[in-house]
Amino acid sequence: MRNAIRIGLLLAPGVGLVLAFMGAVLYRAVAQAFGLYDFSGTSDGLSLAHWQDVLTTKRFWRAFQWSAYIAASSAVIAVALAYPIALWLRKPFRGSLILSAMLKAPLLVPGLVAAFLLVNVISYHGFVNEFLVWAGVWAEPRRMQNDSNGFAIIGLQVWKQMPFAFLLLSGAVQAIPDPVLNAAQDLGAGKFARFRKIILPLTTKAMQAALVLIFIGAAGDFSFQTVAGPPSVNSMASYMASLQGSEGDWNGAAVVAVMLMALSLFGAIGLTALVQLITRTLGRLA
Amino acid sequence: MARLVAEDIAVRFGTFEALRGVDLTAESGSFVTLLGPSGCGKTTLLNVIAGFLQPSRGRLAVDGKDITALPPEARDSAMCFQSYALFPHLSVADNIAFGPRQKRVARDETVRRVDGLVRQLGLVDHAGKLPNALSGGQQQRVALARALAVAPGLVLFDEPLSNLDAKLRDQVRNEIRALQRDVGFTAIYVTHDQAEALALSDMVCLMNKGVIEQKGAPRDIYFRPRTRFVADFIGAANLHRGKLCGGAMSTPLGVLHCCHEDGEDVEICWRPEAARLGGDLSGTVKAVAFQGAHVDVFVSAGPETVRLQVPGELNVSIGDTLQFSVPPEGVIALEASANA
Repeated sequence: MRNAIRIGLLLAPGVGLVLAFMGAVLYRAVAQAFGLYDFSGTSDGLSLAHWQDVLTTKRFWRAFQWSAYIAASSAVIAVALAYPIALWLRKPFRGSLILSAMLKAPLLVPGLVAAFLLVNVISYHGFVNEFLVWAGVWAEPRRMQNDSNGFAIIGLQVWKQMPFAFLLLSGAVQAIPDPVLNAAQDLGAGKFARFRKIILPLTTKAMQAALVLIFIGAAGDFSFQTVAGPPSVNSMASYMASLQGSEGDWNGAAVVAVMLMALSLFGAIGLTALVQLITRTLGRLA
Repeated sequence: MARLVAEDIAVRFGTFEALRGVDLTAESGSFVTLLGPSGCGKTTLLNVIAGFLQPSRGRLAVDGKDITALPPEARDSAMCFQSYALFPHLSVADNIAFGPRQKRVARDETVRRVDGLVRQLGLVDHAGKLPNALSGGQQQRVALARALAVAPGLVLFDEPLSNLDAKLRDQVRNEIRALQRDVGFTAIYVTHDQAEALALSDMVCLMNKGVIEQKGAPRDIYFRPRTRFVADFIGAANLHRGKLCGGAMSTPLGVLHCCHEDGEDVEICWRPEAARLGGDLSGTVKAVAFQGAHVDVFVSAGPETVRLQVPGELNVSIGDTLQFSVPPEGVIALEASANA
């Protein structure tokens, strides 16, 4: 008991501060969602009315689905691309260091700059259209920007987040000793069996971490959506900004914020469980 | 059981030749040891046999079938790694069952093999544990059981005892030999420990700088070393170089007799235990090390120092003059090494 108190006291300055700041933000968002602290000055006390207002609009649910779709797709594609690259670069070879450094370069480019560059490339008079028209492949430029499927946003998210997944996965993949993989091969496991039965289970934690962190980051995206997203749909973040900015609805924006946090939490739990299930199922296959 | 034939195996890493035309035959059910100092190419040869390395030249055959180009997973061999290389996320039983499952052995047969090996290797109480909950000796047994579970014709051992303490090493060494005799697999065993090689093997291949310097039964290797390297690496050896005339060589210790052809520049050797007290050879005792059953005595004359192994009861002191002899049959003439 005395030890527990001592440990608690030792951790208090660090963990306590983090918890206090997180708690303050969380409390503020939740309280606002229930009608408190309306900065427009019309606070009507504790109420569920703002939840009813927001959750009954189609616009909100469209934004919710959109953010979930963008986040899940980006996370899965980024991890799926990072895995083979991490495996390929597991053993050093001539040029692998430069390649590895280049793959991490997107981490240094701010998201808004990346989105702006992409627009330069895919806009109506962007590089791609200009080149294809010049080459005679297309008779006239085609509209690629702000596509309704969100491919541009997913592409941007993958480009930006894949290096992060690569960092996590390459660390985990490199931590598997060569003799362990050699032993599996020696006992009859081919490439795919080694991946399913050895590499995947031993890197599950890193994969889960990559998926969860990318999902949370992509679910809260504002800049990619604003620059390259379709005008007909909001992401949760852009919807929240629009509620608060254009409509002055602080409490409604707080409801969206709480729902965004819920999406991040349950999305992360769902992805973690899905990875566990897939790893087990693949491991059980002969 | 499998008969392995390796012919003219060469491996090159850039400009470095790790193996230079190695020939090796391991008869069915035999225990062959690849022995040598670090960097001599023994693990490289084992990796070539396992299929982890492709030779730049040469041919490998098991029971007459060419396996040179086969990947490791398609070969009838299993390896026990120096680091055990157990799968950390699988239980002991699942580790052992991994091979049979990969080779699509029937479920009942897999269970039977796992149960049998778990019992045979004393792992019954540990079958459900993860490898990190086991001691080094237990992990080594799991690695051995995992290799044997695929019922391979050939079991390859890469210094499997080097991470164990001396007592456990002796115990596991005896277990490996007993198991090899019981099950009857052909074993290729890599070690740099000469005592291990002599105790375990039917045939020892002593490697040096990418070639097999000498191969043969442990007794042959020990009592009839062909080169200076072999004589020096296996056990202790006293070496003299000089003119051999009428079966005698003059040394600072006196005249040594041996049963070999005369020559101008001949190198001869004799083992410390071949020395007998009393005789024509003599020198000054420079150091004495009591070993219980015997005493190691280091005797010098002129620039040469030799080591004698004499009965433990002998009471000599540093500075004494010691007279001894070496019977001619204990003196061996050496060939020039190809790697000299």
